[in-house]
Amino acid sequence: MKLKYLLLSLIVFSGCTQKEEILRYSTWQSSPTEERILRRTLTSFDKAHPEVAYAFQPIPGNYPEKIQLMLGTGKAPDLFWLKGDTAPAYMSFDVLEPLDSYVDGDEEFAINDIFPVFKDAFKHKEKYYGFAKDFNAYVLFYNKKLFKEAGLTEPPKDWKELYAYCKLLTKDTDSNGKLDQFGFVIEPSIDMVLPFAFQNGGELISENGKIGVGEPEFIEALKFFMSLYRDGIATIPADQGAGWIGDVFAREQCAMAISGAWLIPYLQDNAPNVDYGVVELPIGKQKATLAFTNAFVIPKQSKHKDEAWTMMSYLAGKKGMEIWTKSGLALPTRKSVAEKNGFYQDTIFSVFMNSIEYAKLYKVNLKERWYDESQAAMQGIFYKKKDIKTSMEELAKTLEKYKIE
Amino acid sequence: MKFRSRKKEQLFWGYVFLAFPLFLLSIFVFFPIGFAFVVSFYDWNLLIPDKPFVGLGNYFELFKDPVFIKAIKNTIIYTLGVVPVQTLLSLFLAFIMNQKIRGRAFFRTAFYIPAITSSVVTSIIFVWIYSKPGLLNFGLNSVGIDSNIDWLTNPTTVLPSIMMLNIWTTSGYFMVSFLAGLQNIPSSLYEAAKIDGANQWQQFWKITVPMVRPVTYFVVIISLIGCFQVFDQIFIMSSGGPDNASTTMSYFVYQNSFKYFRFGFGAASAVILALLIFATTLIQKKYFPPEAY
Amino acid sequence: MKELKLQKIGFIIILAVATLIYIGPFLFSISISFNADKNVFEWPIKLFPETFTLDNYKNVWNELPFGKWLFNSVLVTTIQTVTNVFFSALAGFAFARLEFKGRKLIFGLLLSSLMIPGIILLVPKFIILNEFRLINSYAGLIIPGLVGVTNIFLMKQFFETIPKDLEQAALIDGCSYFRIFWQVFLPISKPALAAVAIYTFQGSWNEFLWPVIVTYTENMYTLPLGMASLRTELMTDWPLLMAGTILISLPTLAIFIIFQRYFVQGVASSGLKG
Repeated sequence: MKLKYLLLSLIVFSGCTQKEEILRYSTWQSSPTEERILRRTLTSFDKAHPEVAYAFQPIPGNYPEKIQLMLGTGKAPDLFWLKGDTAPAYMSFDVLEPLDSYVDGDEEFAINDIFPVFKDAFKHKEKYYGFAKDFNAYVLFYNKKLFKEAGLTEPPKDWKELYAYCKLLTKDTDSNGKLDQFGFVIEPSIDMVLPFAFQNGGELISENGKIGVGEPEFIEALKFFMSLYRDGIATIPADQGAGWIGDVFAREQCAMAISGAWLIPYLQDNAPNVDYGVVELPIGKQKATLAFTNAFVIPKQSKHKDEAWTMMSYLAGKKGMEIWTKSGLALPTRKSVAEKNGFYQDTIFSVFMNSIEYAKLYKVNLKERWYDESQAAMQGIFYKKKDIKTSMEELAKTLEKYKIE
Repeated sequence: MKFRSRKKEQLFWGYVFLAFPLFLLSIFVFFPIGFAFVVSFYDWNLLIPDKPFVGLGNYFELFKDPVFIKAIKNTIIYTLGVVPVQTLLSLFLAFIMNQKIRGRAFFRTAFYIPAITSSVVTSIIFVWIYSKPGLLNFGLNSVGIDSNIDWLTNPTTVLPSIMMLNIWTTSGYFMVSFLAGLQNIPSSLYEAAKIDGANQWQQFWKITVPMVRPVTYFVVIISLIGCFQVFDQIFIMSSGGPDNASTTMSYFVYQNSFKYFRFGFGAASAVILALLIFATTLIQKKYFPPEAY
Repeated sequence: MKELKLQKIGFIIILAVATLIYIGPFLFSISISFNADKNVFEWPIKLFPETFTLDNYKNVWNELPFGKWLFNSVLVTTIQTVTNVFFSALAGFAFARLEFKGRKLIFGLLLSSLMIPGIILLVPKFIILNEFRLINSYAGLIIPGLVGVTNIFLMKQFFETIPKDLEQAALIDGCSYFRIFWQVFLPISKPALAAVAIYTFQGSWNEFLWPVIVTYTENMYTLPLGMASLRTELMTDWPLLMAGTILISLPTLAIFIIFQRYFVQGVASSGLKG
């Protein structure tokens, strides 16, 4: 008897998870601030399209892996966010729905309002597979108080000044023999090296598929980047027992940090007293930065494609994006929205908008393992003091294996 | 129900009793073992419907993969480091506990707590302890040892640190096994030794160690199998980093199967791991059997 | 005599130091969980927080889906414990007390399956469950752990220690084997059943690898997975994290302390005969 009940209850439980009748919309989960704005955007969507019933199901932690699992097990949400750097892999797997026919039948979507660099970010073999929900870019955050204390009035404009200022800003404030304030905070992570590499004329992987991490321009940039840490004028979060660079900047353990706009609400919540400024990155041989953009996509397996498009068209359209980016948590990929939100006039947000001109997208035409391989190489350089040149040349060879055809 | 003979009756009930367990174990144990080999011969990606047969391709690729080689190395270092220390430590603790000391139940509980606690809990606590401004460095500095490293992001310390955690968590469990074994040793043996003038140390090596050999065999096997498959701590504490310094074979299997979604490649690496474990236990059985020579 | 006493003092010192090492980390995590100060890296690190608060525990309940994770953990653990006790007793009884064709072969098969490392089963199990569309469901989480081979062994060993003539009288009375099992054997096997129950409970409660693989939405997480997911995110709220870890540990700790002797018995018997 007991057995019967058990089996019965198991069947009921497994049944429970399959009542996915309506459209499901999934995003990754970050800060509470972001979720608040997300809900606000959804509320306005509800008003505009009361006919679309949907369930909002954010996914915490290890998002890319989970989305992959969901796609592989036939349970992918009908509309979800896709990280821009992983997009090429997904587009090559042929699991996403091409959107061209939807765009053609939807005048309100106004595709040409999107900045060209972002419009084509999710294009693969002449087809659109997703549209940017927003963008972000690496800029320089600096602590005005610490700058003042060091007698500095302006943020650094080029690499030379960056290095010199870092030196000035690194101090032992309580004179206990241990440095407790650093000029800069960096992360042993490939994406933080990229802006420097770009500025030096280097590349991770070029449009025609040539891997650039082993090239002299890239290595030179990395050498400069590393010199900040090896010379003891930049710190890393792990050294401070911190979770990420924002943490170190908020605690005023460093005077400068490279980050995207996501640092702004974090500082608001965790360190409202830190007086900071935001400027474009110090310049190397040329102006450059790294831009991040993530997309809304619809999986091929979805059973609610039309409704999903209605939702995407709204959220990535003028109206949705306006609400979503209003607070500046992320920046709009549509010109009209940036103008409407007054971002070109704002001292902080204009920095991000201006960077669109010279920013390079974080879009990597390599299979997923490229990232772990690159991180391992960076960790080797940071923690094992491995030779930069040989490590990067080795990495270049390794990455050859992970090219997407 | 009527049966023509007791034999038939036993046959009937025997299979009725075993039906459900056997059914389940066939689906989730016996079939998967064979299936793992099959999958390892294919380029099997969950996102790609086309799953080409690649023969031994995955195996060839594995042995050309520097990360996999590193994972094998790390796994062996891990096992060789943890198993002997853990075995000796738990035997030693059990030996002391067996000395009719007051408060024995309390000590036993204390040593056992890490073993019954979730690996997630102990890992999280030790992430804090091992972090740069954490308890370990604080403790070392307060006794005058100048230590300023982040134990888990330093490539030379990350694996030993996780090994220490492993020894700390499981030695209590094995201590209880040893304690039970010790209690089965007739006390007359010790009394005879005392009359012969053997001290505690000699008693330990001459009587205790040989007498608990069957328990030692069991402890070594269990901890070998556990160490070869260490995953939770790696996943939570270091994600295999930095620079793959703590990537173990089971973490490699997980990463390739469920992160890069290469089921065939992942299954092939799991097969290698299984063979390695199998070979090690065979060697142990042959050269260090549970009973004395 | 004096020497002996000295030795005993030496032993006690060793045990005391060992005790500190074994439970010290827990004491610190308890301390952090009550700490109102979020910066847990302030040196000198103290065992007693300067400002004491219960907020971290409240926040675990209010800010995290802790209740849902707890529900999942309790559900998985309860079902697996009940089925393991029942089915391993049944199978153990069959192996120990019944004579039938194929018994030795099946038993040998089970014995050899103990040599198979679990890691090799991950990918195949995942593919099988995916065929039934059971990934990220309670069924997928629970079903593979309904019966464990080790538990069957434990029960078989226990039933073998019971004198042969116990079932004879019942058989003469015309009882079926199931009734003999249910009415004669089960009532006297409480210690063994308890050992199986406690082991299964502890194993399922702490299980990490399988939930990592088979669940991917937060509402399906079990407690260990939920807490680990907080750690992997940009989470530096140590007091909150520690409060959660303390809460997860309480049930196993309570059960261990209450049923200590069964634990020890289990370890001892599986240790000696396994």
